[in-house]
Amino acid sequence: MSVVRKLVTELLPFAVALAIWQALSMADVWPKVLFPPPLEVAQAFAADLASGVLMVNLGVSLRSLMLGFALGCAIAVPLGYLMGLNRASRDFFDPLVNLLQAIPGLAWIPFAILWFGLGQGAVTFIIVMSVFFPVLHNLLTGIRMVQPVLIEAVQTLGAGRVAVIRHVIFPATLPNLMTGIRLGIAFGFRSLVGGEMIASTDGLGYAIFNAQQYFQSARIVVGMLTIGIVWLAMDRLVLRPIEQRTTMRWGLVREGLEKN
Amino acid sequence: MTDLLVASAVSKTYFDTVANDNVVALDGISLSIGTHQFVSVIGPSGCGKSTFLRLVAGLDRPTAGDITVAGRKVTGPGADRGMVFQEYALLPWKTTAANIEFGPRLKGLPPAERATITRRFVELVGLKGFENKYPHQLSGGMRQRAAVARVLANNPTMLLMDEPFAAVDAMTRQHLQEELTAITAHERTTVLFITHAIEEAVFLSDRVIALSGRPGRIVADLAIDLPRPRRWDAMANDARFAAYRDELTRCIHGKT
Repeated sequence: MSVVRKLVTELLPFAVALAIWQALSMADVWPKVLFPPPLEVAQAFAADLASGVLMVNLGVSLRSLMLGFALGCAIAVPLGYLMGLNRASRDFFDPLVNLLQAIPGLAWIPFAILWFGLGQGAVTFIIVMSVFFPVLHNLLTGIRMVQPVLIEAVQTLGAGRVAVIRHVIFPATLPNLMTGIRLGIAFGFRSLVGGEMIASTDGLGYAIFNAQQYFQSARIVVGMLTIGIVWLAMDRLVLRPIEQRTTMRWGLVREGLEKN
Repeated sequence: MTDLLVASAVSKTYFDTVANDNVVALDGISLSIGTHQFVSVIGPSGCGKSTFLRLVAGLDRPTAGDITVAGRKVTGPGADRGMVFQEYALLPWKTTAANIEFGPRLKGLPPAERATITRRFVELVGLKGFENKYPHQLSGGMRQRAAVARVLANNPTMLLMDEPFAAVDAMTRQHLQEELTAITAHERTTVLFITHAIEEAVFLSDRVIALSGRPGRIVADLAIDLPRPRRWDAMANDARFAAYRDELTRCIHGKT
């Protein structure tokens, strides 16, 4: 596919969405405060960028998100392999994990505030609670799906337990781990914004909440779009390249069902 | 001739969770196999032939009796008994070369020696030019060649094969069978080969052991005295080949 065509394919959906947004704004059905037009949002975006407010809030939010994500994974990934590979650990932790799994990250806000006070500490804590479960759950599914024949094959080549884990279990669980990481970050974003609205005085979530208090609708959209753009960038610049170099290259997952 | 594999009164009973009952897969199998022999075990599906192979591989434990390979009792899987599976079982995240190199790498052989071994077995199974392809980029026949090379490169005492050609098309299968007889004769490998195809067993083997239907018991043990190298075009009109095939067919179908 040529560069031009690739660019068109990439940008077309955004152009169409923007055109519909613009058309609806020009139809003048709703007042601007309920439905801010693209131009006003662009102006607010430029203003927040110039004043540095946007970058400061983005920096605060990304720091909490990344810290919460890293801590969540640092607990979920080793625990997942432990539970997946060791019967006793699974029997012990599985009921506890299931008990806590249905509790939304946001439900931890009251305790998060009591324990960490208002601020990014509380936000980070609820992000950890939100990232932890999808990562753990998907990793456990991945371990359960490892084909026994692959383990048996390497055992008859002389592989012991460590070699089986390193050469079979780790790579075989990568597709599910990537799914867990995607969901973990997505859940983390939800908790980030919700948490900042309630438990913090800075960050993107707080900025969205604050803009609503002052009827600055365009700035609400700026905050929402920023989250979207950050996620898109993470997906395109980090997650997809990892998948293209590993799980897609190995033929474990595909872009879609169509032939090349 | 020394016996490489000795199975003494091996039985295997397992619990079938669907039927909620104990199933006797193998009932008192005793046999021994000499070195450099190509031995096939045939029988109807469910006769326990694959179960027997898994017991030799050490992937399952017998309920009664024991198995020794080269004088050592089998207690678990090991590099001395390399296995080729029907479903290839190549590691999808390793290239052809990396899959073949895997056993020597586990043994801790130096990279230069590993590279020499890999090159040799890549050429032996005719996969030159496909070293850097991943398994999903290979055809079924090529995957099975890679799987055979992977086990041979590890220099096992015995090569265990569990219906390895059942998943490839008929024409590819005949090619692979001819290649396998040439390779194992050349490498002087001891092979224990499981199949439900009588002609395949006769074509490949020095000896064919037939099992009855469940529970599996030995109903025939036949030495196959056909000249090597063997080719399918020559076999098609060979009266001895036909005689072996017919005798085994009688043994299996007469007693199930």
